[in-house]
Amino acid sequence: MITITINGKEIKLEKPVTVLEAAKSAGIKIPTLCSHEQLEKYGGCRLCLVEVEKIPRLQTACTLMVADGMVIKTETEQIADVRRGILEFLLINHPLDCPYCDKAGECELQDLVVKYGPATSRFKEKKRKVPGGLEDPILVRNMERCIVCTRCVRMCEGVQGASAIAVINRGGHSHIEPFSGGRFDCEYCGNCVSVCPVGSIMSRLHRHSYRPWQLMSETETICPYCGVGCTLVVQVRDDIIKRVVPRIGTPVNNGLLCSRGRFGYEFVGSKERLTTPLIKKNGMLEQATWEEAISLVAKRLGEIKDNFGSSAMGGIASPRCTNEDNYVFQKFMRVVLETNNIDSTARTGFAGAQGFIENIFGQGATANIIPGLSNSDAVFIIGGDPTAINPILGLQIRACSRGGGNILTIGHIKGLEKFNPVVLKPEFYSETVLLEGIVSALKNKKGLPGSNQKLEAKVKGINTAVEEIGEKCGITEEDFTKFIEILSESSTPSIVIGKEIAQSSGGSYKLLLISAINYLMNARIYLLSERANEQGLLDMGCAPDLLPGYRTLTFAEFRKRYETAWKVSLPEKTGLSIFEMIDAAKNGSLKAVYIMGENPVFNLPNSKAVEEALKNIDFIVVQDIFLTETGKLADVVLPALSWSEKDGTFTNMERRIQRLRKAVNREGMEDWMIIAEISKNMGAKFNYSEAEDVFKEIARVSPLYRDMTYEEIEKGDAIYPYKGEPLRGVTEEIQVHNPPEPPLSKGGLRGIAAGKLYLRLERPLFHSGTLSRKAPALVNIYPEAVARISLATAKSLSLKAGDIVKVSTKIGSLELPVEIDKKVDSSAIMLSNNFEDKGAFSLMEYTIDPVIKAPCLDGNEAKIEKVK
Amino acid sequence: MFSEAAIKELEEIRQKYPSARAALLPAIYIAQKEFGWLSQDAYEAVANALGVPKAIARGVGTFYAMYKHKPLGRNIVQLCTNVSCMILGAERLVDFLKNKYGLEPGGTTPDGRFSLVIMECIGACGTAPAMLVNDDFYENLTEEYIEEILGKYK
Repeated sequence: MITITINGKEIKLEKPVTVLEAAKSAGIKIPTLCSHEQLEKYGGCRLCLVEVEKIPRLQTACTLMVADGMVIKTETEQIADVRRGILEFLLINHPLDCPYCDKAGECELQDLVVKYGPATSRFKEKKRKVPGGLEDPILVRNMERCIVCTRCVRMCEGVQGASAIAVINRGGHSHIEPFSGGRFDCEYCGNCVSVCPVGSIMSRLHRHSYRPWQLMSETETICPYCGVGCTLVVQVRDDIIKRVVPRIGTPVNNGLLCSRGRFGYEFVGSKERLTTPLIKKNGMLEQATWEEAISLVAKRLGEIKDNFGSSAMGGIASPRCTNEDNYVFQKFMRVVLETNNIDSTARTGFAGAQGFIENIFGQGATANIIPGLSNSDAVFIIGGDPTAINPILGLQIRACSRGGGNILTIGHIKGLEKFNPVVLKPEFYSETVLLEGIVSALKNKKGLPGSNQKLEAKVKGINTAVEEIGEKCGITEEDFTKFIEILSESSTPSIVIGKEIAQSSGGSYKLLLISAINYLMNARIYLLSERANEQGLLDMGCAPDLLPGYRTLTFAEFRKRYETAWKVSLPEKTGLSIFEMIDAAKNGSLKAVYIMGENPVFNLPNSKAVEEALKNIDFIVVQDIFLTETGKLADVVLPALSWSEKDGTFTNMERRIQRLRKAVNREGMEDWMIIAEISKNMGAKFNYSEAEDVFKEIARVSPLYRDMTYEEIEKGDAIYPYKGEPLRGVTEEIQVHNPPEPPLSKGGLRGIAAGKLYLRLERPLFHSGTLSRKAPALVNIYPEAVARISLATAKSLSLKAGDIVKVSTKIGSLELPVEIDKKVDSSAIMLSNNFEDKGAFSLMEYTIDPVIKAPCLDGNEAKIEKVK
Repeated sequence: MFSEAAIKELEEIRQKYPSARAALLPAIYIAQKEFGWLSQDAYEAVANALGVPKAIARGVGTFYAMYKHKPLGRNIVQLCTNVSCMILGAERLVDFLKNKYGLEPGGTTPDGRFSLVIMECIGACGTAPAMLVNDDFYENLTEEYIEEILGKYK
């Protein structure tokens, strides 16, 4: 126990902390500018100087560690003098432009000067001028205001790991600049904006549009973008979102955000939002009233059910909608339309992968706490760049590296290249061999533990020699041995799996091998999730084989529970997956489809074929916030309320349930409410008056969520396995699909013809599905679709950045500007699937893995030619 | 892009320091020798060669006044105007350079032959006024002597 005295008050401390922290814990405020709880100690601004008995000079409270018996004074005449002096120095150059500075009102310097500062200046010289700073579309710099506390630089380097900004020049001329001196070339996380104590780095999105004290409400909610589920504070004035900020102390993101979360909110107020229902008349979508639209949907769905039966109907749920929306959606499909044909785009990877892993290890195998990653001593990453797909999770991996942990990656991962990764980069189609090799080597080193016979039976026979890896994967024995050594010697490893595993050839077999690595290493699995409520949608039963609570539909016992709860008899047969629905639409057996908050015409591979298939369907209902590609094909389009306009819950990838709150008022109905209205029209009793009623029902009917309430979720206790009953026992045989690798072509490449390139999907940091198109800030950062090619490809076709190329595959072609990216494989071309009419999925065919039912995107070959 | 010789030199320097970042100062100096001055491209080359973020490399370089951040002439005249030199007429020499060669402090002659940098004390107070031309040291300067010296540099 350490006892110290601050301002005559005795403070007892368990462990040594800084004087600043000790004072804070006792409620004594010491002014600071450079110190920030998320950043390393710096001791630069000198404002926190305190008197310590027996030390002759003033000490900086932010760097001085307490010692037993220390007597400290924080408010004396001498300290007041010093503070006044420091502030006077800062004001030599800091302009007094508070009347038009957006920071005024929440400016730390302003507050300090009001409290401690001099009322007048003794300096007659002019303040410095620092021209520029307005070049960037998002981040506005005003460097005349900069007090060089370096918080932003320390944030950028020490937390975000981008190192995009630095202090340049020296003395009175020093200020902060990105490398170019103008535009930022960075990850646009905006965490520099969060920590700037003055108005030096600010967001252009809300520039000069409000004063902090005019914000009418602050609502804590969850980010709409990815499966990490960061907590956001949405600040609103006049029902317009002015700003989105993080809060320190939140469980997942703790004061940090990524570009999408911080700058991607403008879609909510977009003028392109749907305002009224639309009904297709003579091939044109025309505005209609809610009554017309709802009664038409009820009538047509009823007719189709009567004429063609329930199996002719399907539903596509949304990983962007809340648990409540998805619960009501699947209930509607099962109870009213009486079909299990319910699925979502989670089928493109996440759902199958999770089902596969849980079948081996039991339910909850992927429910691991994200910040725990930074405490791992090794992180094994395969199948995607976590820093782009789930950026805040990516930061934990970077933190792990900074803390001395090892980063082991299969394939090159751009966002981690500065973090000393140990990389094994297998040739195309040889990932399976490499994984077999890793499993073999770990088996030899560690032996099979014997606790999971079923898994062991599957991997016992795997024995891949190092020579084979060298030959097939193009990886040297030395590199492989080093990788295995680091992996096998780690004691708290984590495994991060991206969607590319499920979307590659032999996806289920690769998942088996990764599961075996997980088993041999006793690791934790993190399954990257591209959508905010991908997990929640599955847990709510929006899958052809699942009931709410992630209960297997084919178990009569589970079905019975819901039959009792919903007072109906449920269809027994497993429904169609989203791809099976597309096939059924193609062959004409699917007559009606209800699509909530999803855009399958763009978000599914071979999108042109999806579009053609949907055109075959008699009746399509699309419920969305924008008129999407899918909406244009619909017979009825229903406008929904969006994120931040409604209440509910999201379940993130760690299976933490979090509260989504309404921040903005808008006329309209939540997704669940629209469906409930239609249900009522079809004679079902869906009586909910608010989202919480839906959740109460979920907690009542699903044993997983037993006794759970909004109140409890708000306390932050809703972490898996909650207080309910997760399913543990392994239920089914482990099955895998491992197609033979395609033969080498004449050009020496596997699976593609000579002269062609592998077409690969880019998953950009700044975009997410088609939602980010409506967020102007994100579009400004990454404005148009590009074809990323390697330097070698560029040279061989004498292309330079910006040249327009035609990328063509068997099923279509796109014209795009080219971008040269050194990190792209010389036999590949990367395309994103985010921009209208320029989606990679319009060029990609797929085959379905029969086990995980995810689309394999390998084997798409593309040709590129210069257009101009 | 660095020449092969420069890359070799950079590698040797890198070995002498515990971290890449510690080797920044000599590495930037090599870039300056290589490219004449420190353009954005030069910083980028240094950053790539050492594996240091480019913003950080530039941040470090701009701290130091003796790195060149704009293109200068073929020969750099560094003249001291501190106390001793000033008393012994350095300011007249500045005027002389301006009148005779059109060389302003911080400026470059139109033919790119000379650039003039006014520098702080070079420790030659006993033999003031003094100057450096490139790496060569000259003292006890007069107008005639300067003319003679500069004639040697083309």
